[in-house]
Amino acid sequence: MRQIFHPGADAILRLTIFGAMAAVAGFFVLVGGIPNSLYATGVGQAPHQTPPFSHKHHAGELGIDCRYCHTTVTTQATAGIPPTHVCMTCHSQIWNKAPMLAPVRDSLADDVPLRWVRVNRLPDYVYFNHAIHVRKGIGCSSCHGAVTHMQLTWPAENFTMAFCLACHRHPESRLREPDAVWNMEWKPGSDQAALGRRLMAEYHIASAARLSDCSICHR
Amino acid sequence: MSRDALAAELAGAAGAELLARLEAHAESAALRQLVARHYPGLGLRDLHGGGRRRFLSLLAVSLAAGGLAACGRSDPEQDVDRRDRIVPFVRQPTDMVPSAAMTYASGWMVDGLANGAWVTTRNGRPIKLEGNPDHPWTRGGTDSFGQASLYGFYDPDRSQSVRYLDRASDWPEFMTAMRGEMAGFAARHGEGLRLLTPPLASPSLIYQIERLQAALPAMRWHTHAPVGRGLLYAGTRLAFGEALETRWRFDRARVVVAIDGDFLDSGPQQTGASREWQAARRRSAAEGRLLTLHAAAATSGLTQAKADFPVCVPARSIAALVSALASAATGGVLPEDAPARAWVARAGAALAAARGAGIVTIGALQPPELQAEIHRLNMQLGNVGQTVFHTRPALQEADDAAALIADMQAGRVDALVMLDVNPAYATPAALGFADALARVRLAVHAGQHVDETAIRSTWHLPLKHPLESWGDPRALDGTVTILQPTMRPLYGGRSVAEVVSMLAEPEPRDGLALLHWAWQGGSAEKWHEWIESGLIAGTAFPERPVKLAPIKPAAAAPLRVGTPSAGLRLLVRPDPTVWDGTEANNGWLQELPKPLTKVTWSNYAVIGPGLARKHGFATGDRARLRISARTIDVPVWVTPEQADDCVTVTLGYGRQAGGAVAEGLGFDAYALLPPSYAGRQDWETGGLAIEREGAGPAFALTQMPDAFDPKDIVRVQTVGEPPVGDDRAFTQPTFYDRAPDDGRSWGMVIDIDACTGCNACVVACQAENNIPVVGAEQVRDGRDMHWLRVDRYEAPETGWPGARFVPVPCMHCENAPCELGCPVEATLHDHEGLNLQIYNRCIGTRACSSYCPYKVRHFNYLDYTADTAPSLQAQFNPDVTVRARGVMEKCTYCVQRIVAARIASDESDRPIAPDSVQTACAQACPTQAIVFGDMKQSASAVAQAKRDPRHYALLGELNTRPHTTYLAALAPRGGEG
Repeated sequence: MRQIFHPGADAILRLTIFGAMAAVAGFFVLVGGIPNSLYATGVGQAPHQTPPFSHKHHAGELGIDCRYCHTTVTTQATAGIPPTHVCMTCHSQIWNKAPMLAPVRDSLADDVPLRWVRVNRLPDYVYFNHAIHVRKGIGCSSCHGAVTHMQLTWPAENFTMAFCLACHRHPESRLREPDAVWNMEWKPGSDQAALGRRLMAEYHIASAARLSDCSICHR
Repeated sequence: MSRDALAAELAGAAGAELLARLEAHAESAALRQLVARHYPGLGLRDLHGGGRRRFLSLLAVSLAAGGLAACGRSDPEQDVDRRDRIVPFVRQPTDMVPSAAMTYASGWMVDGLANGAWVTTRNGRPIKLEGNPDHPWTRGGTDSFGQASLYGFYDPDRSQSVRYLDRASDWPEFMTAMRGEMAGFAARHGEGLRLLTPPLASPSLIYQIERLQAALPAMRWHTHAPVGRGLLYAGTRLAFGEALETRWRFDRARVVVAIDGDFLDSGPQQTGASREWQAARRRSAAEGRLLTLHAAAATSGLTQAKADFPVCVPARSIAALVSALASAATGGVLPEDAPARAWVARAGAALAAARGAGIVTIGALQPPELQAEIHRLNMQLGNVGQTVFHTRPALQEADDAAALIADMQAGRVDALVMLDVNPAYATPAALGFADALARVRLAVHAGQHVDETAIRSTWHLPLKHPLESWGDPRALDGTVTILQPTMRPLYGGRSVAEVVSMLAEPEPRDGLALLHWAWQGGSAEKWHEWIESGLIAGTAFPERPVKLAPIKPAAAAPLRVGTPSAGLRLLVRPDPTVWDGTEANNGWLQELPKPLTKVTWSNYAVIGPGLARKHGFATGDRARLRISARTIDVPVWVTPEQADDCVTVTLGYGRQAGGAVAEGLGFDAYALLPPSYAGRQDWETGGLAIEREGAGPAFALTQMPDAFDPKDIVRVQTVGEPPVGDDRAFTQPTFYDRAPDDGRSWGMVIDIDACTGCNACVVACQAENNIPVVGAEQVRDGRDMHWLRVDRYEAPETGWPGARFVPVPCMHCENAPCELGCPVEATLHDHEGLNLQIYNRCIGTRACSSYCPYKVRHFNYLDYTADTAPSLQAQFNPDVTVRARGVMEKCTYCVQRIVAARIASDESDRPIAPDSVQTACAQACPTQAIVFGDMKQSASAVAQAKRDPRHYALLGELNTRPHTTYLAALAPRGGEG
């Protein structure tokens, strides 16, 4: 009797089985990976802004303090975006003819607000409060990265729940001395564990369990 | 016309002027021809006509366009690149911190009278209203109207432009037209000009109208309020010879007797009177006696339902009851055939024993003759000047509407200016106001909606809402309440004062200028003080000594309504949630259950059991009511609380115009009212016939009438008896570890005795927590979304149905059954004793709801928030997630307020002060029935309440260990009156 399957059939079968398994695995990798991909999160990608505001120039090279523009960062949930009027405190005097700043001048002259593209975004069901983080020793750069090196601003971190919980479960890992909060170059030192524990006591920060209650961020 | 000619004409114009010029040409035939010549494809052709082919092609295009529209997200915050935008100020206002809450003192209006409010705004938008604790009348409490006035403010159906006949117009056009008209009337001293307003409580507005009357002496001013306080004033006029406001000092009283009483019911007195009554009752119970409430009425209301000694008497016997009570209380002989003899004997004895410390009140809708009787009785008992006192009336009335309508029919009215009234709806249809209005040459109507009167008027003007106006209306106690705008007018519009200024003055002034002018005595500091506090201190009316006027022979004749005629009567009442129809377009108030029946979205006729048996009625049947030739079809509600000789209907429904929410709901009781109503306000009419029409559709109920049985739910504490409260619910053994905590444990105690069922908390919760309105169909399916419901249970120990109101929010059980049900841990505990609901984790199995013994969880079936009108979205509390479809939601103890307090405490390193965190419901409650706070702080009000001997847990035997617990209702000792 003649063989039904030719000698290569086994190879094809194996290939099909392994191929199917690889496809299933690949599917999950793809589905799991896409939401966290740079494409989906936009981390590291700076959107175009009008005017093209540079944190590198203002905060880095000129050394203007964060709080000069983001005035409510120590008192409110939101850090605050400066009104046009704040831009013009300087730019009515310097670079007051620069074509790049025409949108700012127009905004003031026509009383039409600037429209900045939002860079850092949280879902609607997450309530983040800047003031309490800044007051308890979490520095700007822990979430926003070293904006002093950003020509146009990009999101430095993917604001997933895992990112938030990494800190809320181990608050000592990121705590800084009060004067280091505004330091964009800050990196945890070798003694961070000890420093963090000391600062937790000093700042009266509750236990990690308390900090990871759902009601801390969700309402 | 050529293109160049048009271009030349438009050259040099910009902005509004360019638009105006374009507008002038837009409708011209020349422009149409020009456009048709140059752009033949442009559809300026008439869309009507064109036949079947054109219809089908348009249909196809619109279908395709509909499909295309679904492709993109239409979030107005996003630009075409689908990225959010952040839009900062150009110049930031000095005092404003973006995203921080700011509070302004202002007020809300109920039937022409003010209540003091604090309005919280975020980024310039009012999002919540609270009672002003410094206001001597409101004292921090609110009512459902106040809480819902935010919905009224953002109502997308509010009138948005001036209308002339049936086209849109504008204010300059109106002013130009009126300038000529007013010059003509000035020449005739105002002959033929009439002004119709509600009774007014605003001194500056009254002053304005007086000045206008002085300038136009022949002009007549009429006032009309569908409910109003006209009968109360007529009663004091009979008894004391002048119109007076009757007020009570519950704190000096030992007994209260209410005849068809309504001091706890919806109305301008509710917030203040219910707080005073409850405070006095609480204090009296602590002293071992109870400030009892005896109540008799033919139909039920909140006052009747809360009574310790209620009795239902036929409507025709009320007058006989009053005289029997007077006789029993003053030592006279109680007739054998007195109605409700036992009740009268007990109430009379209690009043006699408490001379000078009793209060007899009578409903605002009872005829003046009976009111006068009650005043005389209070006088005889020595109560007047002690527990009952009188002040000047807060509302100023003018000629009545009946006189106006008669003059209109006789052709004596040339022009009628109607400000903030809707007489085409809110007068008896039998009076024929609508037809009479057609005989008026110039009808000017100003209102917040394009209502029944607006569509029949020559001019309609959009009115401002109180939350965007300046004003100085008085509260019931006379306190001048400063209304200040909390936002720029949402839809343009003017206030009543501004419209009067337009009519009266060559250079119209705005509301602020008018206030300055009327109160010019005040210095700048005073002015600031008034605005900051929201009131002018010391303007409450002082007590006015009264003397009984001699009884006029006419009044001594048998009481008109007292004549015990046989036959069925119609009783008319304002609706507890939509009042006289002014709130009919308010979705929050429409979905608010009527306190005693839990019906939403409709009114109904209440009939007694005897009448129901006679005609074969069951609740929900349709009936036809007839008085002479007038008929209306109504659904009926059968209850033993109703006397069998009368049928009660409520106003406010059956609207023909006035907004998408209001139109088409319920039936119009004005259609049945006799013509005499507008002049005398006959709330009771004989000659009623009723017949059964058959079964009707089911009511949209939030609690079924067969669930009114209080067994196992409501405990009653008799004063002086051993405590009925216990802590058994918290001492049973449990397998579960106690929840760890960081020193805080939030809890709530609700005093069932103090709850009057007013529903302010329900609306407050809705406003605070972005709770959607779902509509009658969904309520009928049991899908109402109110996080806090007020259950009504009967009070059988009073010998009458009565009511114990039990507000039921989430219990925040320590051993929460819902947490065991959830497969994804979307509901779980935090370390401060809160049972959390995490919306983004919820997958909508609804297991938690079936595990919950209290049924306080609500599932968002149909994405109820998605269709919220943009204007109403502006009211959303930005601190609370707007929940989407497929998510379970429930009371959070206003966790956003707790978090705000916690962050503030962490920032300042100071503990949260006792009682500094208030949930929306606790803050709104006029009787302070709800206390909330940290149970671990023994000084907090909630910890004290948990130690009260009346304290118990709902369904405590289930060992859920709820954090929301209750205080038992109070009852007087047996034999005590």
